[in-house]
Amino acid sequence: MAGHHRLTLRGGEAGAGRRLADLVAALAGTGGLDARRSYWLRLAVDEITTNIGQHGYRGQGGLVEIEGAVEPDRVWVRITDEAPPFDPHSHDPGPRLADGVAHDGEGGLGLYLALNGLDRLDHTYVDGRNVNTLVMERHVGEVQDTDGGTHGGDDRAGGGG
Amino acid sequence: MSFTTKVHTDDGVVTIRLTGELDSRSAPSLNEIIVEATESTVRRLVLLAEDLTYMSSAGLRCLVFAHQKLGRGVDIVLVGATPEVAETIRLTGFDRSLVMQGATER
Repeated sequence: MAGHHRLTLRGGEAGAGRRLADLVAALAGTGGLDARRSYWLRLAVDEITTNIGQHGYRGQGGLVEIEGAVEPDRVWVRITDEAPPFDPHSHDPGPRLADGVAHDGEGGLGLYLALNGLDRLDHTYVDGRNVNTLVMERHVGEVQDTDGGTHGGDDRAGGGG
Repeated sequence: MSFTTKVHTDDGVVTIRLTGELDSRSAPSLNEIIVEATESTVRRLVLLAEDLTYMSSAGLRCLVFAHQKLGRGVDIVLVGATPEVAETIRLTGFDRSLVMQGATER
């Protein structure tokens, strides 16, 4: 496993965007994802994390752990939170989108983008925690030797609030 | 991760140049600009998006907000969207509610 990265947020979403973007960029770079798939992985991480902060924790802040790594066949990002159980697959704005996006009010848009941009999103609820695993498969041409690609580490960045 | 706008109004045509990353942090500032811009009569809203490098659902909701504020009779024209921004808009079906010009295809 190469390019393992970890980020811990404790104060909600404030200031997290840049760190999330950097984390995904590092993973995507190590994994050789093309620009489009890198963008959609970042968007999915942003949307899931924002949704946790705004809806899971209702804007009050809470623990969000983000870690990711590059495997031979995929790049994954795991987002863990302690908000009430919530499976992103359970919130499908599709029927509303069919009538036009303007009819979609709250957060469903972000989850819709995340679910459609990823190759896979797995959700489990274990020991009082939501664990969302976001996966982008590595296509032919993206898979290279990643053994020497580790430049990650522990990028903990806890904050107040 | 900055987001800046440059607004120009001429004879009811409001042109806003979007630069940087439009996400949940920067979206409120664009909503404020849209509110200010729609205080006077607007015939058309043109959004220059060549330098808009990122747009999350919060940014997409800004476009929805503008569409709702302006009403159906006012065109919203999005010029030069990057492939990813254009794909985001198309995926949600909002391309039916605005005019997309010069968007890069992938």
